[in-house]
Parts: sequence; C-alpha cells; structure tokens
Amino acid sequence: MKKFISLLIIFNLSSLLTSCTTDSKEIDNQVYTLIIGCDKAVDNKIRLTVQYPTYKGGSTGGSQKSGGGGDSDKESGVVDNTIVQTVEASSILEALDLMNTSTTRKISLVQAKAIVFSEEMAREGIKNYLQPIARFRETRRIMQLIICRGSAQDFIKENRTAIGDSVAKAMELASLQSDSTGYFPRTPFQEFYNAVISPYRQPFAVYAGINDYTHLKPLDPDSPSPLRPQIEILPGDIPRQGDRKFEMIGTAVFNGDKMVGTLSSYETRYLMMVTSSFKRGIMTIEDKNSKQDAIPLDIRLGRKTKIKTHFENSTPVIDIKINIEADIGAIQSRVKYEKLSNISDLNNQIETNIKKGVEETIKKAQTEWNTDIFSFGKKIARNFFTTTEFEKYNWLEHFTDAKINVEVDANVRRTGIMMDSSPIKYSEMKK
Amino acid sequence: MMKEGKFGTMEAVALTTIVLITKAFYTSIRVLVKATSTSAWFATLISCSVSILLFLLVYLLMKRFPNKELVEIFEIVTGKFIGKILALIFSAYFVYYAGSSLREFVEMIKAYVLPYTPPSAIIFVFLAVVVFFAYVGLEGIARMSYISLIIVIIGLTLILILPLPFYNVDNLFPLAGYSLQTTLFSGLLRASAYSDVIFLAFIINAIHGVKQFKKVGLTSLALSGAIISVTILCSILAFEYTQASENLSALFQLSRNIYFNRFFQRVESIFIFIWVVASIMNVALAFYMSASIFCKTFKIPNHRPSLLPFAFCTFTVTLLPQSLSEVVERNVLFLRQYSAVITYLIPLLVLLLSLIRGKKGEKIKI
Amino acid sequence: MKKKQNFLIMLFSYITYKDKKNIKEFYIPEVDEISKQQQDQKIKDEKDSVHKEKKSRATLKKPVSVAEENEERKAEKKKADDKTISTDIAQNIDYIKAKFNAPANKDIVFREFMIAGKYKAFITYLDGMVDKNIINNFILRPLLNDEKFKDTNEGCQLDYIVQRVLETNQIRTITNPTDAVYEILSGNTLLYTDGCDYYITNETKGFPARGVEKPVVEGVIQGAQEAFNESLRTNVTLVRKIVKNPNLTTEFIKVGQKSQLQCAIMYIDGLTNPAIIDEVKRRIDNLDIDYSQGDGMLEQLIEDNTFSIIPTMLTTERPDRTASHLIEGRVAILVEGSPFSKIVPVTLYTLIHSTEDANMRWPFGTFLRLIRLLGIFFATLLPAIYVAMTNFHQEMIPTDLLIAIAKAKENVPFPTIVEVLLMEVSFELIREAGIRIPGVIGNTLGIIGALILGQAAVQANIVSPVLIIVVAITGLGNFAVPNVSLALGIRLLRFAFIIMGAFLGFYGLTAVFMITGMYLVSQKSFGVPFVAPVAPRTTRSSDLISRKPVWKQEKRSDGLNPIGIGRQPKVSRKWTQEDPNYSYSREGNDDEGR
Repeated sequence: MKKFISLLIIFNLSSLLTSCTTDSKEIDNQVYTLIIGCDKAVDNKIRLTVQYPTYKGGSTGGSQKSGGGGDSDKESGVVDNTIVQTVEASSILEALDLMNTSTTRKISLVQAKAIVFSEEMAREGIKNYLQPIARFRETRRIMQLIICRGSAQDFIKENRTAIGDSVAKAMELASLQSDSTGYFPRTPFQEFYNAVISPYRQPFAVYAGINDYTHLKPLDPDSPSPLRPQIEILPGDIPRQGDRKFEMIGTAVFNGDKMVGTLSSYETRYLMMVTSSFKRGIMTIEDKNSKQDAIPLDIRLGRKTKIKTHFENSTPVIDIKINIEADIGAIQSRVKYEKLSNISDLNNQIETNIKKGVEETIKKAQTEWNTDIFSFGKKIARNFFTTTEFEKYNWLEHFTDAKINVEVDANVRRTGIMMDSSPIKYSEMKK
Repeated sequence: MMKEGKFGTMEAVALTTIVLITKAFYTSIRVLVKATSTSAWFATLISCSVSILLFLLVYLLMKRFPNKELVEIFEIVTGKFIGKILALIFSAYFVYYAGSSLREFVEMIKAYVLPYTPPSAIIFVFLAVVVFFAYVGLEGIARMSYISLIIVIIGLTLILILPLPFYNVDNLFPLAGYSLQTTLFSGLLRASAYSDVIFLAFIINAIHGVKQFKKVGLTSLALSGAIISVTILCSILAFEYTQASENLSALFQLSRNIYFNRFFQRVESIFIFIWVVASIMNVALAFYMSASIFCKTFKIPNHRPSLLPFAFCTFTVTLLPQSLSEVVERNVLFLRQYSAVITYLIPLLVLLLSLIRGKKGEKIKI
Repeated sequence: MKKKQNFLIMLFSYITYKDKKNIKEFYIPEVDEISKQQQDQKIKDEKDSVHKEKKSRATLKKPVSVAEENEERKAEKKKADDKTISTDIAQNIDYIKAKFNAPANKDIVFREFMIAGKYKAFITYLDGMVDKNIINNFILRPLLNDEKFKDTNEGCQLDYIVQRVLETNQIRTITNPTDAVYEILSGNTLLYTDGCDYYITNETKGFPARGVEKPVVEGVIQGAQEAFNESLRTNVTLVRKIVKNPNLTTEFIKVGQKSQLQCAIMYIDGLTNPAIIDEVKRRIDNLDIDYSQGDGMLEQLIEDNTFSIIPTMLTTERPDRTASHLIEGRVAILVEGSPFSKIVPVTLYTLIHSTEDANMRWPFGTFLRLIRLLGIFFATLLPAIYVAMTNFHQEMIPTDLLIAIAKAKENVPFPTIVEVLLMEVSFELIREAGIRIPGVIGNTLGIIGALILGQAAVQANIVSPVLIIVVAITGLGNFAVPNVSLALGIRLLRFAFIIMGAFLGFYGLTAVFMITGMYLVSQKSFGVPFVAPVAPRTTRSSDLISRKPVWKQEKRSDGLNPIGIGRQPKVSRKWTQEDPNYSYSREGNDDEGR
C-alpha cells in the first residue's frame, strides 16, 4: 500500500515538474535582442527592426571565424555576427510574434540596450510605442532612447563594431562616451518616459544619424581654413571618415511625445550644464586678443548648477548660476594667459562665451518650441504649497513667459604640463 | 488549551514588523501616491499615529484582564455565544487576509517574474511552506521571523540606497500634495493599514504578558511606520509622483532602475528573494493566527489537525477574485481602508461593554 | 464487502491526523532551580545511604571458629551460577570455562597453583589482552613466595593477599559473576583462592593499540598535534592533561548486550549544568541493544532527531578542542575503540568553527570564518543559482557572458538541469571512488580524474564549460566545511535546491530556503535550540561569526545555562592598566637628546 501511494506521489510530482515549467527556457532557446528600431510603416502602423547576436563560432574546437568581419549580406540581414530582422505589423508586441514565424528561437527583449525611433515617426508622436515598452516586463527601462535621422532599419544595419567582437559591449560603451565629451546626453527610457508624463519638464532624446563619409571634402590647398568653433552639425554630417557610420551628436527636443526640434552639439552641452549632467568636454573659444586663433579648454562643472526661482508679479524669474572649471588645452596665439594677471581675462572670455551660449539655448527652447527641457519646473514647484495649485498653474505653458538670468563663474585651474609659452623664434632673411 | 510556547520581545517585534512592512512591496504605495501625490510619505505617518492611538485603547482593554487572551476576554465580557462569534469573525478575517495577501503576491510574481507558470503551481508551493510553518508552531515562526527581518532590512536598505543617482530632492515639491485636507483624510482613512498588529492580543501568553504587549506593539508600529514612510519617500524621489502612481510595485521598479556600469545592472532578481521571504512570513503568521484563534475558541488542544482544512479555505479565498483589478479594488482596498472596523472597533466595543458591565479580570500576584 | 471496508479504512487512515504521544521534552533549567532540587536530592540520598550502610553492616558475617567453619563450608557449598560466586574453586573454574566456551576457546588461560602449599588458587586472563610482565613479576612471584604465608590461618586468604602480598597497583573486589566475566574481557586478571566468595581483579591491561598520532581529519598549522586513539584510558588521559581541574569527572557506562562497549562521560562538576549530565546518562543507560560499533552508532542511538539532515552532536578527534568545550560547560562522550569524542549539546555555530580560529591572531580568526561561510554558501546554493539564472532570469547575466554561454551550449544536446545533475552525480562518484583507492594514488586520482573528465566532457560537447567551473567551486566549498557530518548534510540539501531552482527559479530557491531555515530553527540539541543565540535571542555571544579578541571574551554561551557564566573579568589583561616596570614618559619631543 505504501509503495502504491509513494508511486502515485512520484508520478504526480514528475508530471507537475515537466508540464509546469513553461517559464523555464534554456539559454539557447532564445535570442537576445540588443537594439529595437521603429519606423513608420507603409501598410500598417509600425515597422519594427531588431538586431540580435548569433551563436555561431562558439564550439570548443577553436575559434573559426564564420563569415569574417565586415560581411554584410543585405538580403538575409547578417551583419558581422548578428542578424538584423525587420517586420511590419500593427504594434511592437505583435511584430515580435510575427517575427517568431521565421526565427527559430524566441525573441527575447531582456537584454535590449537601446530603442531607436526614426525622426519622421518621432515628429508624429511616439506615445503609442512608449506604452508597450513601459508595460512589458521583459524590457528594461534603463535602455537608451535614440532618435535617428533617416530610417531606423538602415541605422541598425550600421550598428556594428570593427574594434572588438561584441556588439553589446560596443553599444554600452558608446552611450558612456557621453560622459567624456558631453556632445550628446544620456537618456535612459526611464527619464524620457518620466518626463513625458511629468508636469515639471519635457523630454529630450539623443539624436543620431548615419554618416556616409561624403562630408569630408577633398583636400584643397587654397582654402583659408577659417576658425569656426561651435558649428552646428547634424548627426550624419560630421566631416569624418573611418570606424562606424553610426554617430550620435546633439539632442532631439520633444513636446509631450512629439519631436519639435533639435539642439546642436554645443547647445546640448549647455543643456547638460544647466541640468548638472555635464561631466567634461573640450570647448574651443576664439581668442579675443588674436583672432583666428583658438583656445581649446578642457572644461567641467565645478559644482552643481544652482537654480533659484521666484515670482515677480506672476512672472517667474529664474536665476541660474553655473560654475565652470577649466584646464588650458592649448593657446594657439601663445599669449601668456597663464600669468595671474591675464587669467582673469581668460576667465572672462570663457564666461561670456558660455553665458551667451546658455542664454541662446534657453531662448531657443522658450521661443521656438516652448518646451522646458531644463527641468526648471522642479524648482518652480518650490514656490507652490500644494500640487493642485501647481497643476492649475500649468508651468509648461508659462515657460515662455519666464525671465532667465544666467551667471557663469569660470575658473581656469590648471594649464596642462606647461606654464608660459616661450615665443617661437623665426629667422628672417637679411635682405 | 493550546500550548504555544514563549518567545522574547525582540522576536515579537520582528514578527509584527515583518507583517506590517510586507505591504510596502505591493500595490498600496501606488494607491496612496495617487490619492495624495507628493505628500504620501507623511500621510502614512499620520496613519501610523492614528493606529498607535487605537492600539493604546486596545491595550487598555487588555490591561483590565491581565494575562487573558482576547478570545477569553470576548467570552467573559459578552457571554459565550457572542464571544465565540466575535472570535470567529477574527479567524475569518485572518483567513481573508492570508488569502488576499497570497493572491496579491501571486499576481505580482506573475507580472514581474514568472508570467507563464500556472498560478496553482505557485500557490501550491507557497501553501506547502506556509502549512509547514504553521505545523512547527508559533515559536518556530517567531524565531524564523527574527532571521527574516534581518534579511529583509538588509535587502531593503540595498534597494533604497543603490538607485541613489536617480534620486532628485526636487521631486518632493510641492510639499503638501493635493492639499493638506486630502493628506489628512487619506491618512486617517488608511489607518487600517497598520491594524494587523492586533494579532498580538491573541497571543499574550506567548509574549510574557500585558506590559510586553504594549512595548512590542508600540515599537513595531513605530518601526514599520518609519520604514514604509522611507520607502514611499524614496519612491517619490526616484520617480516623480506621476510615475509613482503608475508603478505596480514601487520597490520592484526601484530595484529595476539600478545601473552602475555594464556589469551591475538588472539585479532585481536578487530582490525576489527578500520579497518572497517577507511574504511567506506574512501569510504564515496570518494563517497560523486563524487556525489558532479557531482552536482557542473551541478549546481544541492541538492546532495541527485543523491546518489542512484551513489551507483549503485559504486556497479558495486566493482563487476567488477574477483579475488583478478585482484584487486591488476589492480585497486590498478592504484590508487597507476598512479593516479597522473589525480589528479595532470590535475590541473597542468590548472595552466599552466591559466598562459598562463592570467586568474585570483578577489581579495577578507579581 | 469487508475487504472494501478495510481498504477504505486504510485509505482514510492516511489522511487522518494522528496525534503524537504527549512526550515531555527535555530542556535545560536555570541554575538556581537545579541547585534547589539537588540539595533536596542530596539530603534524601544521605538518608538512604546511611540506611543502607546500617543494613549491610547488619548482614556481615561474624567470625566463626574453625570447627564451625568447616561445617559451614561443607553445609553451604554455593553453586556457582550467574548470581553467586561459589566457594569451591573447581566450581568457579568450571563456571568460567563454561562462560568462555573453553577448551574450544584458546584465548582464555587458567593458571592454577598452590599458595605456600596450603591454599589452592588460580588466576585467569585472556591471552593477548594482558601485560604479561605484570602478571609474572607482580602477581605470581609474590604469591609463590612462601615466606609471606608463614603464619596464616585457614579460610579465605584473599583479604590477607590483598593487604600484604599482592604487588599490583589497582585491585578491586568482584562479588558478581557478570562483573567477573566483564573484567576478564577488559584485559584484567582475576585471582581466586579456595574458600572465598569473591574474586580479586588486578589491572593488567596490555592489549596492543596505536600510539598517540597526529590528527587525520582536523589538522591545524599552529596548534597541538595530538589526536585521540582507540584506547579509552589514553583518550581520557589526553583530555585530563589539558584540563587540570579536580572537578573534571569521568563516569563509565556500559552499552550493549552481546558486546559490552565501555563509554566514558566527561564533564566538569560545578560548571556544567547538571540537567545535561543527567539527560546524557539517562539516554545512554536506557539503551537496550545488541552491539554498538563505536561512537557513530551511539550517536545515532541517543540523538534527538534521527531523520535530521544536520548533525546535532559535534565529533572531534582533538583533545584540545574537547577540553575547550568542556570548559564551556558541555559534556564529552568517549567510546572505547573509537578515536573520536562527541560533544553535546552544540549549536550550529559550533559546527562551523575550527580549532585554527582560536590559535590565530584576531584579524584572521574572523576573516577565515567568513571565507568558510562563503564556502558553505557556494556548496549549497551555487549550482541551484546557476540553473535558476540560466533558465529563468537571463536578464541578470551580463550580455557578453550570456552570449558566450549560449554559444557554448549551442552544441550540447541536454537541457541545463540534466547537465547539472549529471555533473553533480559524477562528482559524487569520483569522491566516493577516491576514498577507496589505496595510498597516494587515491588523492591524486580524485583531482586529476575530475579535471580530465570535465575537460573531456566539454570537448565531447556533453556539458558546457561554465558548468565545470560551477561544479568545481561547489566541490571546493564543500571541502571547506570543517565538520564532516555537516558537509554530508549540505551535499544532500544541494540537490533539493537544484530541483526546486529548476522548477520555479529564484522563487523555488527561496521557498526551500525558508523550509530549511524553519527546520533548523526548530531543532534542538539536548535541550539547547540549535540556532541560539540568534533565534531565541539570548545573550550575545562573543564568538559566533566574528570573533572578538581573546581578552574580550568574557562570557560563556548562554544557551547551556552553565553554573557561572562569567569567564574572565572585563579587564583580563591587567598589564595594560599599569605602567611597565621600565618606562619613560613620552610627552614632548620624543627625539630630544639625540
């Protein structure tokens, strides 16, 4: 009798074990998407592109590189050791299901590191696609949100790396470069989504594009090589060649969920300075004392930007104090700026430069788009006691009325490993 | 009569605190933030203080009848029949509490971790653990809760500290939420959220008497109020109040936001551990209390035979609601807003009745 | 009909609840309760013993004249049987011969002789168990010396022999034939002269035994290198060498019907709580078994819960460890023929301490303990976490590692759980095999076998490479556990974790963890809760996981309720309170005058 009962229990348990493990999936039963791209579709709502790495070349018989590097077969979507797949459907989740009809493994979004929206789609509004990402349990809210010029599909096809083997590593490190240059911000999905529904501020996203290497004009010995610091460049237009075609520079500015404009690289820096997320970057200013000579400086924020707000007869007044520390990168004119008497001059130059830049950026946001991407709303909220009043006031509409006062305090701290530049000696031909 | 064993003050405090903080893992935070926006963190402090006041009133009742558990007090004051009915109401309330907590837990785990597993497998495993806990008895549960509290507090500290880069103090302004009146009102209304502390009144003999009862109750109420308030505070700091009122589980979402570098991200699965530990302790205690009150009412000497039928009842209660929305809007709402009617009002009425009828317990010689 | 009814009844009996008999559980009372009880008991005992003495004195025979004696002797020739010792020498010899199955049994030796030509006598012993030197020089020689027996009278000479003649150092009177047989079995020599109704035993144990050697299982670097051996007397002596306390008491109890195994119970009287000693003696006394093979079987017979995975008694082969536990207030059980001693009662923390911690300086004491705990964590949970993470929670693994694992698993035909179980079972197999292979080859083969097997399995695409690392670290963690029984328990527990992890991921792991935790917490080891002082919160011990410096350990563990919990005063290094004998003051510039 005991044997019979124990047999029964074992049978039940094993049937339980084998039938209920629908959640347990082997690692190689799934493919892990690295990047998701959304385009405006022709016949339906959305065209979804995903990229995931393949598992070839992993057997222990040694490392045979399959396909070699740089092999992009446009038809089957094989890009290096990843596969790029595109499908057209009515929503993101349904697109994933449609893809599963041809992909042999389940497509899993748990390792997705970025989501890309094309600019056309962004200008129409992406609220439909924010929802599934926020609600779905597999997606991570720390993925980066990128807006790209052109189509997301082409963009993702260029997401490869020639430096190493792993595309995932390349992607993670790419978004970390924001900390070293400040030319593009870091916008995790969490921040973006928060800002979309927030009464305090409006969202912005990284602006990216594909460079086709045609912007590097052929060398011309007759060109005067003018000094043009702080030029406005859109992503995809940087005059360069080599390495990835994929480049991120600038910000896309949103009103609600619709994209309304872009900020250039230096304007992005000013935005990041005001929101205290600027870490460091090299800024070039034109030397006032010697035109056409540049002074590149390694600048960083000294301490967090102080923003104070108060109301003057129902006009919000915002005082911004930015503290900048700089290290001299080079002084092309060889003017002795390192001397104590001259340093304040240099400081003033920097201050005027940055102050002008910040004021212009904020004015642009106020007048052209009326979007508070600087999160001033959070400081304004301090002047209200209850949320009902604040929501009734509707700061986002009143942003354009605000009066902004910017104060920059720049300090050149270090001069590199040189102090004083000795003048260059030329020898002249005696007539 | 049932022999329950004895345990010390620290274990009793740990037991009560764990039962009270488990609700921070679930949907209650979201509801509170939706009702009061940025002032949710001190609305809960108001609830805690109201609960402390009501608890002190219950303490007065217990002081009148030293060393008698609440079941016996019911019978002494209101007579055998009504006393039994009152005690059985409490037993049913604890079964409902256990079932609803279990259901909320299952919904949460299916949403975040195991979406395609049949819920009966999850419930079965959970109930097996809970029945084993109740089988071992109250002493075992108390000792285990001491260890669990240490684990939960360490985990909670980690979850609240690691997303530090995301915290922004400005998210707390404007300070008073929708309005001061709404804050006060919500605070008062949700005082029932802390009313589970009443279970201490049923096991007075295990915690060495009425003086300890007061000390344990007050300490654990204060501690859990502080912890829940800090949790809500961090949730608002990390997400502004608009998003905080959307998250299904504030703590889980916080743990999903942890990102330090390429290697230290998406570590929320570690926090499944502490959350399951806290939930098991919560449901185990409620389950044990229901079985124990039942046995005390009918003077059954051993609570172990009644565990399986109670497990079945809890299982039924767990499966009653049809969807997550029903759980949140009916069960949890009842437990967090209206349960004070049962847990506090009944002892208060009994206190009044005892004052009127002049019943008192015998003074014990110390 | 009847059969069906029986079947139904049987079916129902499986789902009805059967109440356990209401057994009273053992607990250790506080010291003041006990001392009161003890005083009452003492007064009662004194009264009884006085009473007994009076009685026994009343039954002593009065000296009888010779003529009467002869008559008496002829009249009452007691039969030698299991209850009485005969006064006739031939009958006694026959009795012993019958008991030992001589002359078929060649081990037992009888040496009959005449003392001074007047008295018949014999000695009997077991060949090989005795030290022949003592018998020859100190028993036979003085007895065969006629000088001493010049003026002795008739009758029982044993008393005279004991007082004046015998040159052995330990002599006991045996009045019970069962005890006599036992004495011979223990290696002592029995002496009997005609006319007496009792035997005399002499201590002549000389059976071959191993010397005192280095410890095999519990080696230390900086510490004593003596271990117990199989001889009970040596073991007790080794402990007594370390604990020079007059109150250290050794009590002997015999266990078993067919083979009487000698057990020794050691404790420090006046320090250990008498309830523990009482309970240990009560449990060992009330055993009714055939034969106990040593202390392993004894442990299983007296432990609280046989079906527990975790041991509740500490086994150690080092006398210094035994001594330190005795001074804490515990009781040690030593068994003849086994080089281990058992310490009761213990808590979980005692099981994870090793002797090294006490001998090392403070920073390393805690650090090594933490590493050991890490080892235990790995040994229990690592394979389960691996299975749960790769099957359920792939988001936790960094992407590069994930892709690498997926690539490696691409060619492996088995699912992860099958792989893990396969590797675990083969690892256990290798360990078992390694114990039995003789000599030096055994250890080397174990390690090399594991490595090569693992490598070959990876090459053949049967398992993935990450798994080999996981299983290797698990094995290492298991070896880091200081107590062998605990390591075995952990090995079993690991499988439960793996299966639940494969079933429900981290949720399943947590459920099993809670069940294990609850189980540990409800265990008791001789009345002390197993996870004290954490679970029932008693006084904070200074030696749990992190170890306070030696001069700060002021209290004994509270769970044992010893008599006198303070060990050393707050300031135990009195030399820090006063100035050194040669000192100077260091204010001002220290380098003055250089």
